Amino acid sequence: MILRPFEYVESQTVDDAVAALRGGGDDARVIAGGTALVPLMKHAVLRPARLVSIARVPGLADIAPATSGGLRIGGVATHWAVSHATLVRERSPLLAYACARVASPTVRSMGTLGGNLCYGESASDPAPALLALRATVRLHGPGGARTVPITEFFTGFYETALQEAEVLTSLDVPAMPAGARWRYLKWTPRAQEDKALVGLAAMLVLDGHRCRVARLAVGGVGASPVVLARAEQALEGQELDEATIARAADAAAGEVEPMDDLQGSAEYRRDMLRVWVRRVVAGLAEGRAS
Amino acid sequence: MPVVELTVNERAVRVDVPGQWTLIQLLRDGLGLLGTKEGCGEGSCGACTVLVDGRLTRACLALAVRADGARVTTIEGVGTDAALHPIQDAFVRHGAIQCGFCTPGLVITTKALLDEHPWPTDHDIREFLSGNFCRCAGYNLILNAVRDAAGVVTEKR
Repeated sequence: MILRPFEYVESQTVDDAVAALRGGGDDARVIAGGTALVPLMKHAVLRPARLVSIARVPGLADIAPATSGGLRIGGVATHWAVSHATLVRERSPLLAYACARVASPTVRSMGTLGGNLCYGESASDPAPALLALRATVRLHGPGGARTVPITEFFTGFYETALQEAEVLTSLDVPAMPAGARWRYLKWTPRAQEDKALVGLAAMLVLDGHRCRVARLAVGGVGASPVVLARAEQALEGQELDEATIARAADAAAGEVEPMDDLQGSAEYRRDMLRVWVRRVVAGLAEGRAS
Repeated sequence: MPVVELTVNERAVRVDVPGQWTLIQLLRDGLGLLGTKEGCGEGSCGACTVLVDGRLTRACLALAVRADGARVTTIEGVGTDAALHPIQDAFVRHGAIQCGFCTPGLVITTKALLDEHPWPTDHDIREFLSGNFCRCAGYNLILNAVRDAAGVVTEKR
């Protein structure tokens, strides 16, 4: 498969990229790792006249500690880099693990975390992890820099809060609380390389058997990755007994709007989400972590 | 046309490439290195896997212009007909090759695997090769070959 001709711009700075995107209008697209964009161009789903590369902008792939104890991860850090970085493994093992579940090793070593999010794919692996961690997205556009909570970033089916000529420059990821138990469960009923039918990220902080903090988010079920807010509420402040966990699983199944596609029906997705919320939370409650 | 200067299998090359070419077009059509195969053309099957600056790369998804200044390793840089690389030798001995179309990508991926995990577990092997499809020889023979190659390659270090 071959690509149609396009103009290629290698940006040296984020401002250069924003200017090149503005100049290209609707026909310009950002390219980082290209693992999502290039197949779409080969299938002529997208036909950009100009590709604006941000892959070589100095500093944009950096992974750095934040003074809050969290992390700042550059938009073009690859999934491979994020999942292998000691800093991420120590401060945000949930994110490191989720990035290690993206597609295959080769795609992970090309594709970037920022590209993954800007693609707006529901079945993204890092998205539910970042939602559970309540990360913040940093964007840079013609009007300057702005931040968007990741809980407001995914706006619909392959749609995000990204505005025209904006670039995702980095993510701020808060530190996981001490003693947090976590899991990312990627349910692929057919084959390992498939996208998640249910991609469930969970983080719990317990006091004895009582749940102090519950963070749950899921990708692959509805049009966008989402926080399971009602399931979180059903767990927080409660003893994690079987009945409470079942209530949270029912709440999760009730609060999503699942998709119907060739991978599975909407009702199958809803049922699998209920099953996996119950199993994952029960496992974490018992200390069978990650 | 953009000019791309890169090192391919330790040889410095300079190629004129149409701006919309992918790396596999540069390798096959520009340099005549036909060892790297194009399977699906959309990053799923792993047949086109090469190393770019030591990192696993799908040559069908990478833009050729992006390879400027890079060091690329293809299957032609791994062994020769006279002296097969131990990974290739293991694939032959274990019957892990049938039509051979997926083999260059598998050998390159195995090379990257052994760089990271000198003594890989079966889980490491399955996980690393999960993006390389074989539709004839069968994965158990490939697993056997990689286990064997790991011993040979790592012992030699």
